[in-house]
Amino acid sequence: MTILLLVLILILGMFTLLSKDLLHGVIALSAFSMLSALLFYLLQAPDVAITEAAVGAGVSTVIYVWAIRYTERKDSSE
Amino acid sequence: MSLFILEVMKWFLLACAIVCLVRMFLGPTTADRLVALNILSSVTLAFLVLRGVVQQRVLYLDVALVYVIFGFLGFLAIARFLKDRLNDEEAE
Repeated sequence: MTILLLVLILILGMFTLLSKDLLHGVIALSAFSMLSALLFYLLQAPDVAITEAAVGAGVSTVIYVWAIRYTERKDSSE
Repeated sequence: MSLFILEVMKWFLLACAIVCLVRMFLGPTTADRLVALNILSSVTLAFLVLRGVVQQRVLYLDVALVYVIFGFLGFLAIARFLKDRLNDEEAE
């Protein structure tokens, strides 16, 4: 179970780094923090999971979307 | 017997999460990915509550509560962003 979750988290992190559309990257990052909160929870650290859920899934997604709104959505670097 | 059913449900929910992730990777439009993220959040919420029931600890239910409230904030932000983009495209 833990190994499966770690593999999924790894795939999501790679997708976040490699995606050209930054909004898709933010969505994948939100799923990333969601699954890592689940991982902390399974490893019996519910307080860490609460913090990760509050900061990772909620606030950081809002801040990233806020930043994308005032800048560019597409990654133009080659 | 009930422990067995809870175990089966655990793996079933994990399979649902993997299907949602496939849609998130392949989804052609952003709306597809957003819906996949939303469903993934619901599946994770069910998983957390299930785990709390199995372990019989009330603290685990608090995690699920905080998790779904803040997750909703994130979806709201992305959905508002998409709405503004659609309005801009219609205006042009």
